[in-house]
Amino acid sequence: MADTLRLPYCAAGIAAAIGASLLVSDPYVASVVNLVSIAALIAVSLRFVMLIGELNFATAAFVGIGAYTTGSVLTIWDWPFGIAMISGGIAAAAVSVVFGYVTLRTKGPYFLLIGFAFTEAVRIIYSKSMGLGGNSGMVGIFPPIAFDPWMPTFVMSIAALLIFVLYVIEKSDFGKIFTAIRDNEDVARTVGLNILFVKVACFAIASFAAGVAGSLHAVVNNVISPGDFSFLLAAFALAYVKVGGEDNIVGPIVGAILLVVLGSYALGLGGHEHIFYGAAIVLAVLLMPEGVTGLLHKGRDFVMARGKRNAD
Amino acid sequence: MQTVIQLTLTSLQIGAVYILFSLGLTLIFGVMRIVNFAHGHLFAVSALLVAVMLSWLAGMGIPILPAYLLAVLAGVTASAALGFIIYVFGFKYFQRDMVGSFILSIGLVLLLDGIFLEIFGGGVRAVPEILPGSVEILGASVTQQRLFLCGMAVVITAALYWALTYTKLGKALRAVSIDHEAAMLQGVPYSRLALAGFMIAAVLAALAGALIAPISIVTPVIGADYLIKGFIAVIIGGLGSIPGAILGALFVAVIETVGSFYLDPTSATITIFVLVIVVLQVRPKGLMGHG
Amino acid sequence: MSGLRTLKMATLGVAMGMMGSIAGAQETIKLGLSVPLSGGGAVWGRGSVFMCERAVKEINEAGGVTVDGQAYNFECVAYDNKYNAADGTKVAQTLLNREGIKFIGGSLGTAPVKAMQSLTERQGVLLFTTAWGFTVKGPKFPLTFTQMNTPFEILPNLIPFIAEQHPDAKTLAMLNPNDASGQDTEEVARKVWQDTGIELLSSDFYERGTTEFQPIAARLAALNPDIIDLGGSPPADAGAVFRELAAIGWDGVKVVEVGTGADGIKATGGDAVEGVYMGAAVSFVGDEVTDHQKEVNEEARAEIGESLNAIHIGFYDSIYALKAAMEAADSIEPKEVAAVMPGVTFRTFYGSEIGFYGEETYGTVQQMRLPVIITQIQDGELVELGRVDPDGK
Repeated sequence: MADTLRLPYCAAGIAAAIGASLLVSDPYVASVVNLVSIAALIAVSLRFVMLIGELNFATAAFVGIGAYTTGSVLTIWDWPFGIAMISGGIAAAAVSVVFGYVTLRTKGPYFLLIGFAFTEAVRIIYSKSMGLGGNSGMVGIFPPIAFDPWMPTFVMSIAALLIFVLYVIEKSDFGKIFTAIRDNEDVARTVGLNILFVKVACFAIASFAAGVAGSLHAVVNNVISPGDFSFLLAAFALAYVKVGGEDNIVGPIVGAILLVVLGSYALGLGGHEHIFYGAAIVLAVLLMPEGVTGLLHKGRDFVMARGKRNAD
Repeated sequence: MQTVIQLTLTSLQIGAVYILFSLGLTLIFGVMRIVNFAHGHLFAVSALLVAVMLSWLAGMGIPILPAYLLAVLAGVTASAALGFIIYVFGFKYFQRDMVGSFILSIGLVLLLDGIFLEIFGGGVRAVPEILPGSVEILGASVTQQRLFLCGMAVVITAALYWALTYTKLGKALRAVSIDHEAAMLQGVPYSRLALAGFMIAAVLAALAGALIAPISIVTPVIGADYLIKGFIAVIIGGLGSIPGAILGALFVAVIETVGSFYLDPTSATITIFVLVIVVLQVRPKGLMGHG
Repeated sequence: MSGLRTLKMATLGVAMGMMGSIAGAQETIKLGLSVPLSGGGAVWGRGSVFMCERAVKEINEAGGVTVDGQAYNFECVAYDNKYNAADGTKVAQTLLNREGIKFIGGSLGTAPVKAMQSLTERQGVLLFTTAWGFTVKGPKFPLTFTQMNTPFEILPNLIPFIAEQHPDAKTLAMLNPNDASGQDTEEVARKVWQDTGIELLSSDFYERGTTEFQPIAARLAALNPDIIDLGGSPPADAGAVFRELAAIGWDGVKVVEVGTGADGIKATGGDAVEGVYMGAAVSFVGDEVTDHQKEVNEEARAEIGESLNAIHIGFYDSIYALKAAMEAADSIEPKEVAAVMPGVTFRTFYGSEIGFYGEETYGTVQQMRLPVIITQIQDGELVELGRVDPDGK
């Protein structure tokens, strides 16, 4: 497949989705659209760090940092909404630079499990911070009233914009260094690249997106609690990536749409919801190792091959 | 002095369970290079089954010790069976694939969480005392049950150490975990070894679960707490290293005990997480990690 | 087994639905529940659903709710809020905006309740909750009502009672789980104990999900307090702490202020929990226990594996309170029902005819005037020591 940006397709896709979101009037559908957009953004952020070959479980922590920053800015300091949204991303990126600089020297399972530990530690810190509402959570994180009818469009636009930016970076020359590091770090180092710098940059960009996803989460839900940002959040994001397919950026989006919509129905299963989600993940990784998009590509190749044979 | 002895004894007792748990995790990682978050469920199923069987057998009038032994047998069998199923239908296809195996294990965690809740209910299970009473060691009091657990942990760890050092299977397992390719070149039957490693780990988890059942809080989510501590222990010690797992487990136990005593339990938990990051700064592959 | 039961229930439901459509006259009012149905809190959630369904069954069999000459049946619709705000929001969206529910029959867990409340008050939906604390109650939340006793009701009755029983006890150590219940309980308990003249030596928190309590037991025992108060700890955790304390050799006055049941605490604590005082547990032994209470409790034990506790019972009482208020208002409009709620009385599961109060504490009349039941574990059985009927405004 050509490695071009395919901008017209992207633009058309984004425009169609945002246009459709304008038609949403049912509040329940609106809430699901919001959830899907946020989930897609988190999943794309997680996949972005997978480009350098690392599984970033600290994603959950950065979503939380974004959410709590936006929550604090809006409810404690009463700053304007726009600043609140950006500050979530900036705070997450800032923390991620320090965290990444310290931890990205480790690799593979070590990095994965440190991210896990970091997520849990940060969650406990929120729960002990009474200024942030402790375990009961932080309440009253409302967007301006004028935004209310436009929330799905607003949330989807921000998510689409960030996903698009991540896509452009991935396809740029800088983005190609990421995959070069993943494929062989030593080779990348011998050509004179500062590996740690590139890794931290990739990590910080992804964390900015995760932080903004957290900001969106906070203003959509109006209430946040430490329990929202446990490692399960990253586990679900990983499920979106894996079910959708990790080979290209469409995969996590497809996975997020599929699982969040199915999950909204599974909510009615009560305690059985875990069984449903777990079974979906297990079956997906066993039966479609390339995810849904991988399956579709295979299907297309198969059909095209047959078409060709018929033409002969 | 009294305090020091009490804290040392407590650390050793807690460490004993963490050691059994971490040994399984590190063994699986060493042989298969997979991160298995469902390990806690192998542990839980054994603890739950011991609790259920023990009350059932005791209700039939069987004396407590033989009843316990039967229950342990049932628990270990159930864990081993579950381990076998998830290996043959799952992890077998994800060897040396960290991301894939990890996602599979997360799926299994959710699936088994739901299934356990259906089968066993969410309530806590009462487990009668097996060895009542306590003994004094240097002025500090320890229950017989805890002492028994520690003794068993030492025996099991020693047996595993011996098996890995002297038996053919053990040598092959170690060879694979140190250098997979070299071992393959020497004709080590890898797939059979992976199954053996996975099953040994499952049985270790099952034994830990069966031993902890009489002195812990037996619910379907019992594995989660141990899983996190166990993983931290193996990262600190170095993934794949047996002495590392033991060292890491004791390290976590000491921090938890001393931290809870002088600060409070929540701060102790945060301290453990922070120390992991510090240790990995100095040794990015853990204290005993190699290559 | 459970699968079969679900199937049976489903068949029954379909059959009843068909009968309903034949009769045609009965309409249904759905009552939403936001409760944990997975993870550590599942046993509370499941018991709550059970009690809601029990009350609904009784009411429907007795002819339902009659409003404006029209008879309505109730139905419980429960979703899993997983004890956090994010899932609480999903549940709230689903209940309010997908199911179109106007009455929340009960909700459990402070964070998810707050998420629910930010929607219910805006959309004009009536909310019953077990959540504690001032932040979810008062004049700002006219549609919110509380369905169980909280530390504000329990502790001022329980603590002086215990202090009176043990005049020699002078010092206290507290331990709570690091969750919303623990933090709320600690705040109230600290104050009430000190007002009673007891010296507080330390107050600590542990993480929920902890299974190893030896280190903290060592810390508590080293302080050698006369009283150890485990506040809002879940019963199983409390039992484990007392067992470790006994192993080290500590013995004294044991309290679990909002301890909800004897089963969990005995399961992990064994003999070490002898003498524990609890403020939110319900005893089902003794002469005063009615046949109805015994029967429902036996059914619950078979269904959820635990005796009923104050949380579960709240989900029974709230349904009867809703029935009473709907009939009093002669309306099924949530705002009109909420307006008359403070004035109605209904028969609680505990046996007495009660209404609402809470103006002194919360600023609005929104708290069920439930009896505060002081219980103690004696010879392995939960025994009721006293019952205080609150008389405040």
